[in-house]
Amino acid sequence: MIKGDYMKFYQKIIKKPWTYVVGGIILAILNIILFWFSGKTWRITSGFLYWGMGILEKFGLEHSNWYYFNVYGNELTKGKTFFNNEYTILNLAVILGALIAALLASEFKWKKIKSKKQLVFALLGGILMGYGSRLSFGCNIGAYFSAIPSFSLHGWVYAIFMFVGAWIGCKLLFKFLL
Amino acid sequence: MSSSKIQELKKNRQLNYKGKKNQLKYGLIFIMIVSFIYLYLFRNNFIYSIIWLLGLFIGFTLQKSRFCFTASFRDPIMVGSTSIFKAVIIAFIISTVGFAIIQYKSLGGNIDTDIMKIPGQIAPVGVHTALGAILFGIGMVIAGGCASGTLMRIGEGFILQLIVLIGFVIGTLLGARHFEFWDKLFISKSPAIYIPHYLGFPLSITIQILVLIILYYIADWYDKNNNMMAM
Repeated sequence: MIKGDYMKFYQKIIKKPWTYVVGGIILAILNIILFWFSGKTWRITSGFLYWGMGILEKFGLEHSNWYYFNVYGNELTKGKTFFNNEYTILNLAVILGALIAALLASEFKWKKIKSKKQLVFALLGGILMGYGSRLSFGCNIGAYFSAIPSFSLHGWVYAIFMFVGAWIGCKLLFKFLL
Repeated sequence: MSSSKIQELKKNRQLNYKGKKNQLKYGLIFIMIVSFIYLYLFRNNFIYSIIWLLGLFIGFTLQKSRFCFTASFRDPIMVGSTSIFKAVIIAFIISTVGFAIIQYKSLGGNIDTDIMKIPGQIAPVGVHTALGAILFGIGMVIAGGCASGTLMRIGEGFILQLIVLIGFVIGTLLGARHFEFWDKLFISKSPAIYIPHYLGFPLSITIQILVLIILYYIADWYDKNNNMMAM
């Protein structure tokens, strides 16, 4: 009996995919809990910048000489480094959480890069997203998923223009990749 | 196709199936590893341990539900489907209520506080917001994933998304490097606008939820008329 229940749980929660709506509801609740406990909402891309700056500092560059790190509260908080901070914890946890979900459902697979074109587009896309995220104070999470519920107008403006960008991206995709 | 080839394919399939079955074990090993990290963080930094736990659940949820923000914007354009977009709107309705309560409590009801002191993601809005969002929108479609999707797919084993991550690091560095230019051009002249400052809390929440509900119905209507998959 207990084993049967366990199998049911396994099939339903672990093995089968969840619906988008379930995903959305859980992500919203997790973001609220994160905000409640840490005082900060879910953000991602600043963590990527921190990793990059951490690497550059290993080569002798000094972050405090950068204008960016002296304005808008972009300074490193005391006691934190570019590698030891809440973004690193959160980003690594997201990767590992997805890895565990994939493994438990036996869906993990190394997927190789198919072509040079794909590689170039991936790198270019990443650079565009990274650069854009500095201009708009965040990515699809920081300037959208966490910004709209924060009642900041920039979240809504971001949403509208991300849609414009996606439309341009689709045109480019049709033209060059498909 | 020759029968020997069919046999071979069958065999391959079985091998794949076996390989698949084995992954549960690795999953459990990783659960142990992340639990140890949790315990370590719990002893050294309580907030980190909570962030760690929440991040794991976020990653788990992203993977299980294939929650892809890129698809939420791309699918309506490319295939006319708004199912993920609708899920994002539902997430916004829930988080709007949750965030409002947290902000209200933190401000002690006094919303006229300095905008820098209000918790949450509040930033200057202006031309730079639009520019950044357009760049991001283009980038996420051609890279095939946004920030959260990139992390999630790295976890699923996509090597391509590691390249996207490298791009992200380079892009954020370049953006930060040029930040002074953009700040002087647009950002420093743009105000951060916290909607409750203008409308008060009750009205802001009501209007935002109403707008989201209307968007939901528009998306639903759009899906019914344009979804190529459903036709």
